[in-house]
Amino acid sequence: MKCDWVRQNILFYVYNELEDDARYEVEQHLARCPECATELKATRKFHATLSETVAEPTPNLLAASRMRLQEALETTRQGGFWQRLVLEPATWLRQVRMSPALAAVIFIVGFGGGIGATYNFLASGHTGEVAVANRPDTPPLESSAIAGIRSVTQEPGSNQVSIKYDTVSTQEAQGSLNDQRIQQLLLFAARNNYNSGVRMDSVDVLTQAPNNTNVREALMYALQNDTNPGVRLKALDGLSGFVQQDPQVRDGILRSLIGDTNSGVRMQALRLVEPMKTDSNVRSVLTRLAQTDQNPSIRSQARTMLAQMPEMD
Amino acid sequence: MPADSYAIAIPVGGNSRPSRAVEDSGNQNPITMRGSLAAQGNRIDDTSLIREAQQGNRAAFEVLVRHYDQSVLRLALHLTGSESDAQDVYQEAFLKAYKNLGSFRFECSFYTWIYRIVTNLCLDHLRKRNVRKEEAPVGVDSSGEEFNRLEQFADARSGANPERDLMRRELGRKIGAALSGLTPRERMVFELKHYHGLKLRTVGEMLNTTEETAKNTLFRATQKLRGALSEMR
Repeated sequence: MKCDWVRQNILFYVYNELEDDARYEVEQHLARCPECATELKATRKFHATLSETVAEPTPNLLAASRMRLQEALETTRQGGFWQRLVLEPATWLRQVRMSPALAAVIFIVGFGGGIGATYNFLASGHTGEVAVANRPDTPPLESSAIAGIRSVTQEPGSNQVSIKYDTVSTQEAQGSLNDQRIQQLLLFAARNNYNSGVRMDSVDVLTQAPNNTNVREALMYALQNDTNPGVRLKALDGLSGFVQQDPQVRDGILRSLIGDTNSGVRMQALRLVEPMKTDSNVRSVLTRLAQTDQNPSIRSQARTMLAQMPEMD
Repeated sequence: MPADSYAIAIPVGGNSRPSRAVEDSGNQNPITMRGSLAAQGNRIDDTSLIREAQQGNRAAFEVLVRHYDQSVLRLALHLTGSESDAQDVYQEAFLKAYKNLGSFRFECSFYTWIYRIVTNLCLDHLRKRNVRKEEAPVGVDSSGEEFNRLEQFADARSGANPERDLMRRELGRKIGAALSGLTPRERMVFELKHYHGLKLRTVGEMLNTTEETAKNTLFRATQKLRGALSEMR
C-alpha cells in the first residue's frame, strides 16, 4: 500500500513537486524499501536521459528574431483606449459596476441634461419658426417629408437659424371635376407624379373634361413626355375627339406617330389620324411611316391608307 | 526541502541563467533550469516597465521582451521543431502581447501572461501538425532546409568521440519519436515542467487549468514516454 503511494509520487518527488510532509514520508520510505529505491533510481535515470538532448536557440536565431520583431513593432500600433473599450466590454462594464459613484454621476448628468433641455424648449417656445424643430411634440422631420428648402437665414450675433421649408404631408381633396382645385391637382399629378399609376388615374380623369384648354395641354404634355406608354395611350384616348378641330392636337399626335418608341401608341395614333389622311401634314407623315417605320404592320397600314387616298391634283 | 529551493536571481536581459542561491540542500533534482522563467525577482522591475509600455513607450516594451524572449524562443523551438516556425511563434506572441498590453491588469504575473499567449500559439501549432500527421523530429530551418532537430541537439553537445556522437543522435531520435506520441497538452505540460522547470501550479495557471490536472497530465506524459523509450531499447 505504502509502496503504491510512493511509486505514484516518486515522479513528483524527482520534480520537486511534493509538499514538505509528503516529501518527508517518501524519503523515510525510500530509506528502508530497496524496491522503491530502485524505482527512484530508474525515474532519475529516465529524467536525466531526457535532459541530455536539450536544444538551445542559437544566438543567431535569437538576434534574427529580435530584429524581425523590432521591425514589426515600428509599424504596429498598440490597442488604444477605444479598441479596448470596444473589444473588452466585460472589462469596462466591470469597472462601471465597481464604481457606483461613476454610475451616480452619469445618472445625475443625464437628469440635469434633461432638465436643461426642457428649460431650453420652454424658453425658446415663443420665438416662432425657429422653435418649431425643437418642440418635443413636433415629430422629427423625415427627409422624404421635406419638399424643398426655401430660405436659410441666421440671426446676426446668435446661433438661431430660421429655415423656411415645404413639407409633404398627405392631404385629401374632394370635389367635382369642374372644381378648379381638383383640376389643378390633377394637372399637377399628370405632369409631376413619380408614380405612373397616379399619372394614369389623373390622365384618365382629365380625359373626361377635355374641353378645358388646360386639360388638353396636360394631355398633350403627357402624350409627348410621359415615360409610361399606358399613360400616353390614355392621353391619346382623351385627345381623340380633337384631332379634327384642333390643329395643335393633330400636330401633337403626328409628332408621336413619328417619334413614339412604342408601336402600340403609334398604332393608336395612326387610327386617330385616319379620318384626316387628306391633310397634307398627315399624308407626308404617312408616306414616311410607310417607308421607315420599324413595325411592319404600321408600315403596311400606312401604305393601305395612302393607297385608299384619292389622287391629289 | 521547501518547494522553491531555486531562489532565482535572473539578471535582467542578456544571457539569463538562473543560479542556485541555495546550494543543493538535499534536492537531487537534476532538472535543467536553462532559460527558466521562474523569475520572481523580476516582477518589481517589470511592473514599472509594463506601465511604461502600456502608456505607449516602445523602448520599455523592448526591454520587457528581452527579459522573456530567450525562454519564449526556446519553448517555441522545442515544440515546433523548426527554426522558422519558432521565429513565427516568437514574432506573433510578442506582437500580440504588444497590441493587448493595455488589457494586462496585473491579475497574474507578466510571465504567466506572456507564456499563456505563447503556449496557446504553440498548442495551435501542435494541433495543426497532428492533423497534418507530419513526422515530428523533422523540421525546417530558416534557410528552408530540412533537418532532424534532435540530431541537431546532439550535434551541439557532440565531442570528439564519433561513437558517442552516434549514440546521442540515436537517443535524440528515440526521444523525439517518444515525445511526438504525446498529445499536444501532455507535450506542453511536460515541456514546461521538464525543460523549463516551472512549478505545476504555474503550468496550470498558464494553461488555464488546475495544478491537480497539470499533475495528472505530467504523470500520464511520463508514463507514456517511459513506455515508449523502454520499447525502443
